[in-house]
Amino acid sequence: MLSSIPYTELRELARKDDCIQYELFFGPNFPGMHGNFGYILDVAGSTILRVRPNPGLLHRGFEKLMEQKLWFQNLSLIPRICVVDPDPNEVAYCGAIEKILGAEIPERAKFIRTITLEMSRMTSLLMGMGALGGMMGLYTVMYRMMDDREGLLSLFEWLTGARIYHIYNLPGGVRRDIPDGWTEKLEDVLKQLESNIVEWDRLMFENPVVQKRLSGIGPLTQEQAVNWGIGGPSLRATGFKADTRKDDPYAAYPYLDFEVPAVGGGDALARAVQVREEYILAISLIRQALKKLPEGPFKLDTGNPLKFIVPKGDAYNRVESSKGEYAYHVVSNGDLKPYRVSVRGPSLPGGLALCHEHLPGMLIDDVAIWMASLAICPPDFDR
Amino acid sequence: MTRNALVERIEAETGIESRPRYSNQIEASVPRERIISFLSFLKTIGFEHLSNITAIDWIQDSTMEVVYNVWSYSERIHITVKSPVPRGNPVSFTCMGLWPQGRVYEQELHEMFGISFQGNPTQGPLFLHNWKDIPPLRKDFDTEEYSRRAYGYLEEEQ
Amino acid sequence: MSDFIKVSRDEIMDGKMERVLDFFRARSMWMLYYCTGCGAIELPPSMTSAFDMERFGLGPMATPRQADILLITGYISVKTLKRVIRSYEQMPDPKWVVGFGSCPVNGGIYWNSYATINQLEKYLPVDISIAGCMPRPQAVLDMFQKLKNMIQRGEAVGYKKYKLNYDWYKKNQDEVLNREEPVFREDELFSAPPEQISGEKITAGGNR
Repeated sequence: MLSSIPYTELRELARKDDCIQYELFFGPNFPGMHGNFGYILDVAGSTILRVRPNPGLLHRGFEKLMEQKLWFQNLSLIPRICVVDPDPNEVAYCGAIEKILGAEIPERAKFIRTITLEMSRMTSLLMGMGALGGMMGLYTVMYRMMDDREGLLSLFEWLTGARIYHIYNLPGGVRRDIPDGWTEKLEDVLKQLESNIVEWDRLMFENPVVQKRLSGIGPLTQEQAVNWGIGGPSLRATGFKADTRKDDPYAAYPYLDFEVPAVGGGDALARAVQVREEYILAISLIRQALKKLPEGPFKLDTGNPLKFIVPKGDAYNRVESSKGEYAYHVVSNGDLKPYRVSVRGPSLPGGLALCHEHLPGMLIDDVAIWMASLAICPPDFDR
Repeated sequence: MTRNALVERIEAETGIESRPRYSNQIEASVPRERIISFLSFLKTIGFEHLSNITAIDWIQDSTMEVVYNVWSYSERIHITVKSPVPRGNPVSFTCMGLWPQGRVYEQELHEMFGISFQGNPTQGPLFLHNWKDIPPLRKDFDTEEYSRRAYGYLEEEQ
Repeated sequence: MSDFIKVSRDEIMDGKMERVLDFFRARSMWMLYYCTGCGAIELPPSMTSAFDMERFGLGPMATPRQADILLITGYISVKTLKRVIRSYEQMPDPKWVVGFGSCPVNGGIYWNSYATINQLEKYLPVDISIAGCMPRPQAVLDMFQKLKNMIQRGEAVGYKKYKLNYDWYKKNQDEVLNREEPVFREDELFSAPPEQISGEKITAGGNR
């Protein structure tokens, strides 16, 4: 009887079923795929033999378009690179310009930037956890996380005017000041979100079915993660304590007091638990920043934005986003428009390079979970 | 190791002169033939994270510059390595053996700029579909005119 | 567009059976779950408990063979256009196309990009469009109400337009997807970067 064979042996039997070989398009038109991206797989039975990524479905030519617009006009294009977590992009671009100018933004602007960055990180982590739950078939997680996200998106709309693409950070500070009553509402939303964590634990993290499903998928050691260029929560889930907020600080992070969480383990279950730790850390960082928020101006005076010139030079600025390390290399020729802007997205090492190492030998059922746990999101390598 | 000690050590062992800049970064310019030995030397002294490989097209000077951005977790220092390549014959060498994700970055640079990397087997199209023109990120390509001719604008057709 | 055959309303209101079927079709529309661009981030809030779309009869569907609506959320690159046309032709009649956001209407913020198309109307028949970048979930629900009324009145007939004018659509699609010649000739490239510090732009082929 098939049911009396232990599960590990059954998996071995499925792996040996190589009598039928075919080409499978784990393609763009598929609910299990994040965004518009495709893998062309050579499959034998249920086991993958070879993978060819098929990127470029979301290619817009960002780096060329940014050379055609003025320095301030580019801020309308920049958040559209990453759709779930747009604020680190704005901070990276503005930080690179501030490095070339040698300018220091006011203290109040630094703290406001930190608060919006951490809020954006929370919305992105909620989306990531929801996607991971959806890939396993546990759709309740997706439904409830979207509901939590609505609280944060309404706060963003009150502060900046838009739910998703904020265009809030400028070279020199932020666009407008915090309105009255916003900080009290933020505190209420944080209390509500914190009390929901007990539900997530019962639903997902302490669920034995989820733990069994996620363990063992996509194992990474510390040396492998550093060599392949993986960063962010996926790197810290292997036990390697590295965080751009501590190593190369920007905004108000030097003034805040926190410990970087690093869960060991390296597989998909460790990455899911790491996401939970980062979520709790983000709530505590927002509370610290709200307590220490100083008075003062919220941006530098940069003059007429239509005649804003950045002196000749180049700079490389990195920030820590919820998926990994975003970095911008900005080159200026002393002109009204940038000469070259190059965007480094965190999903390129995972989605296009690490797939050749991890996917051969994996079953087709696990590919969607592998992608969701490494937070592979196609817009930032297609650009 | 402090930043100045690193600058001196790089100069002593490879002869390349590097300059510190911003608060925790170093910048160096390396000729094309010595770029791979320089990068493998950097990997031995603690620069183990390759962040980005990009290229800049200086059309007025007829050169292209391949730029490597490498970060060290242990020293917390960043280095930007620039290596110029002539525009008429843009050929360089691959760093796939040092960092495996370099293969994808170089494939993208080949498609967008036309720079070929010797030793890299995958130099075919990656993002673009059925592309017949010159590499699009070069400075002599006009994207607005291409969009008007290939796809048309709404106001002009009515 | 002089040879474009238009479909008028009188030709389609042919019989009471069609009206009864339209009444039911309008209340059970299944959309193809294919997120083609960045506009798709506002679909999970519309589908899930925040703005619940299922109470109107809308639900996601995995395969084109069982879907009614093709939702083009956002910009379309050339590679995506090939897949979207194939999915559209696999869907059985009646089927409707919705353009989501400003990018399918006139190119949106990527109007001058070499990789995205500017007007979806030239390649697929679009029944209704929502403007916005990106549209809010309330706008999505409003659009579905309008589409439901259009279907009930018998006005959403993009699929018949596609069949009657297939040659015109195919010619436009082939021009983009199966290009043979490069767009620029050798002598039309720049010799210097097109920007000057005064802000004056040099256009292709020298100053006109």
